[in-house]
This record gives sequence, C-alpha cells and structure tokens, in this order.
Amino acid sequence: MSVPSGSRGEKGARRFGLRVDKRHVNMRGVIHGGMLMTFADAAFGQAAWDACDHAPVVTLNMQSQFLAPAREGDWIEFAPVLTRRTRSLLFLRGDFTVDGQPIYSVSSVWKILARIRTGQPAGARHRSWPRPRG
Amino acid sequence: MSDVPDGLPSDAENISLGGFNRHAGPIWRLAADGEMRRFALPVHDKHMNGSGSVHGGLLMTFADIAMSQTSRAASGAKSCSTVALTCDFVGPAKLGEILECRVRVTRKTRTMVFLSADIAVGARPVAVATGLWKIV
Repeated sequence: MSVPSGSRGEKGARRFGLRVDKRHVNMRGVIHGGMLMTFADAAFGQAAWDACDHAPVVTLNMQSQFLAPAREGDWIEFAPVLTRRTRSLLFLRGDFTVDGQPIYSVSSVWKILARIRTGQPAGARHRSWPRPRG
Repeated sequence: MSDVPDGLPSDAENISLGGFNRHAGPIWRLAADGEMRRFALPVHDKHMNGSGSVHGGLLMTFADIAMSQTSRAASGAKSCSTVALTCDFVGPAKLGEILECRVRVTRKTRTMVFLSADIAVGARPVAVATGLWKIV
C-alpha cells in the first residue's frame, strides 16, 4: 500500500507527516486505527534504524492510545522520541498531532539484531556513541 | 462463494469491503470456535516489509479489524471505537502463509469491551494483542 507521507529533519530527529485521504479512513470517515499503527511502525522503524546506524531492527511491541479522530484532509504530524537505547533494545514513543492537538499516543520497543555478515553482537559497533538526547 | 482463496473453508466471508479495510485486506471471517471468534488473512506481497516478513502495521491492522468486529458482535452496537491496543510481535510470518486471528471477549460493560487476540500461522504464534473498545 502506498502512503503519501514524508519525513524532514536530520538523522535521529526526523519528523513525519501524513495527509489523510479516502484510502485511510473507515466507513465513518475517520482514520482507521490500523492506518495510524502502520504509520507509527514505519516511522519508528526509520527512527530506530537511524539510531543504530542502519543495523537491522524489528518491532517487539507497540502500545497505542487513540485519543481523538482524524478525518480525510487532515495533516498528521509525528516526531518519534528515542527514550533510551541499550546495546540490544530501543525504546521509542511519541504523540501524533493534528493542528497541534494530540490524536494518537504510541510507545514501542524495538530489538537491534546482530549483524549477520560480521557476526558482531547487536549494537557492538556503537558502544561509544553518545546517549541520545531528549 | 467461489472467490474464497485456497486454504480457507468455503463458508469464509470477506469482511473487508469498504474504506481502509478494502486496501488492507481481504480479511475473511471464519466459523466461530465456541467463544472464540476466528478471522483469516492470506499474506500477499503488499503486506510485506522490506525484510521479507509481514509488516507489523498489517498485523496490528488485522488484530484491530478482528477485535472491532468482535466487539460489535458482542455488544450488539452498530459501531465501536478502538480506545487502546497493545501488540507483542512474537514471531515472523512469510509471503503466502495464512494468518489466523482468534479473538476472545475478556469483559463487556455497558460502555466498554475488553478483548484479547492471538495471531498465528497454524500452531506457530505470530502476535498477541489486547485492547479496549468503546461502544459508540
């Protein structure tokens, strides 16, 4: 499924946006929870990938709270926050907003996979990285 | 119906006819197993991520649709809204496999429905979800 969306900003501080169109809404004209969760998973995936220098990452878990509806034509913004990075795990969270109002709150745990080519343990290359701000 | 894909029982019913569901699906309703409501989703190319596994967003979408259907059926309401959904990604699923979602109603009150769901390929677990629905 193609998703008209984009990202801006420096690596590690990207912001994501989505213009809601008729493909994204349910029969009541409200954006589908599945669409928001899919958008979150894709944005978190990019943020997680950035945070570990493009090592392979997988979603372990995602917790979603649907605060308010978004409708066709709305512009949704999302700036994922990296709460913590350990050697093998990434903790991410964020709020989706429309016109500055939160509509969807989400947090997620990701696993950094070992690099298969080198056999290094997960995150081994990045131990000296500074802790993420935020 | 003749358009039921291979690997599904002939009485499977397509429940993803409009809106977002039509893009995400097709999702099929199967006969219930006692208290457990069952749904199936055959994995197509559009459901995959770049790493050759089913996209996490699709698994959560499948759980959301199956649990929303179940909360409507359990409450008799015309419409239910997802308030919260938590999903653990237990294992991967591949192209061509058939995902089955089994949904159980944990509790129903006058205004809310508590649900849990397991997504599996055969006996292999893929995802576990719990969620909270508001009866609208």
